[in-house]
Amino acid sequence: MTAFLQYIVTGISDGAAYGLVGIGLVVVFRTTNALNFAQGVYAVVAGMTTSVLVLHMPLVLAAVLAIAIVTTIGGLMGLITIGIRGDTTPLTSLIVTLGLTLIAESCELLIFGDGPHSYAPIANHAWDVGGVLVQPQYVLLLGVTLVVTLGLNLLFRKTIVGNALVAASDSLRAARLVGIDTVTFGVVAFGLAAFLGALGGVLLTPLMPVAYDSDLNIAVNGFAAAAFGGLVSVPGALLGGIVLGMAENLVVGYVNPQYELTIALVIMLALIGWRARHEVSTA
Amino acid sequence: MSVPLLDVDGLVVKYGGAVALDGVSLRLETGERVALIGPNGAGKTSLLSAISGLVRPAAGTVRIDGADVTRASPGRMVRLGVSMIPEGRQVFPSLTAEQNLLLGAFGRVARREPVTALLRYAIERGRIMERLDGVYELLPKLRELRERPAGRTSGGEQQMVAIGRALMADPRLLAIDELSLGLAPIVVQDLAVFLRKLNEERGVAILLVEQNAQLAFELCPRAYVLEAGQLRLEGPSAELQRNPLVQTAYLGGGLEVAEAR
Repeated sequence: MTAFLQYIVTGISDGAAYGLVGIGLVVVFRTTNALNFAQGVYAVVAGMTTSVLVLHMPLVLAAVLAIAIVTTIGGLMGLITIGIRGDTTPLTSLIVTLGLTLIAESCELLIFGDGPHSYAPIANHAWDVGGVLVQPQYVLLLGVTLVVTLGLNLLFRKTIVGNALVAASDSLRAARLVGIDTVTFGVVAFGLAAFLGALGGVLLTPLMPVAYDSDLNIAVNGFAAAAFGGLVSVPGALLGGIVLGMAENLVVGYVNPQYELTIALVIMLALIGWRARHEVSTA
Repeated sequence: MSVPLLDVDGLVVKYGGAVALDGVSLRLETGERVALIGPNGAGKTSLLSAISGLVRPAAGTVRIDGADVTRASPGRMVRLGVSMIPEGRQVFPSLTAEQNLLLGAFGRVARREPVTALLRYAIERGRIMERLDGVYELLPKLRELRERPAGRTSGGEQQMVAIGRALMADPRLLAIDELSLGLAPIVVQDLAVFLRKLNEERGVAILLVEQNAQLAFELCPRAYVLEAGQLRLEGPSAELQRNPLVQTAYLGGGLEVAEAR
């Protein structure tokens, strides 16, 4: 029973990071209708950058700096992906983000080498809660994710910038006609997605070291989390991430670590299918 | 001769190889109401898209107050005072009616660069709220709907949201693509009365694109007839209404009208 609870607790914490990555995908998809293949890159680059910067400065400063760098890179990638004129089709955008991902992996190899990168979590001790070990890093990860999810909800509902982002996703044509520059807001959306991915990466790297080729794994997890919410729901992506994180940790604990991603994804597929069916029948 | 508010000259629009608009010229004076009628696929929406900057014309010019704005962005056209209400209304369904309206004002102050757009929006907030009250006075129904997601309102209400959203940009010219599409006749009648009042009392010029020729002739003193990408006829609505070609093609039951004469 203790082992089971331990897998659940670790899973929720891993899942929160997948949720952040998934929410980034949702933000970009809702605003530009593009699927961002590079969403995993943000987490990896942020984690790696922090691991190097932390040798020269305090952890918090290193993390903030890494997130700022990745957010900027994300905005630029957005501009390349949707094009200056903003008339790139979603399929072309997907291919462009795939290309950018490969370029990013090569750059990571050149700059950071091919080894895994990590750094110490914010605190090394762990709380013993009835035999279940809870690391402060888990609590931080979940707390930050919840705050960010609530903040995003407020942004989309209550601010004019958030409304403009929603408007672009509701009707690109009408948004342009109203005078909203959809390229600008696409870049803002990509920047926001990169920020979320970087945040997830910086918080997760101490628990799960990253290498140049970790981005695919993270992107797939993030995509599964986002798909759980139909690619359009911010809370849905968070919930999806947490379900996925728990499933993965249970598979590692009870079945075989080799099948971690495979079995977790099968479970997700089944859940998404069940949800879709359920929605159709109630509609 | 005065400089017209909108002066379109020899406009050509192509999609790939297909010619949607083949050298169309039209003028609209300040404060005028003009209709553009024509069958499905005549190029009416292409014309509005080219004027509003959504589509880049292959040739020809668009002038506002005599200034060439042929390849201006949609945002620039809004800032020049040209607002468009797209076919099918295209409100933002997941936003409330009021959020829809406020985005109309945001679009007018927005530039490419988001930070200055936000600053300008904050600075002009007082004026924007006054304008919002003004729109609520013109269309009281919108005040009732303000908190409701626009996607959960009726077709006629959505058309009001779309008109209100355009008015929030304080336009001099309102270009409306298919006012009557999918709406009950009584709702269309109300909207037409409203638009006439808006035009006569506030001087907002109206370019109405319609398949319903009867409505277009009633609302607008002058009209153009567009067919297969070219202008076929133009003139005062009263004259066009008596034109036998227009009667058979657009007013329906040409035979009965002929017999009645």
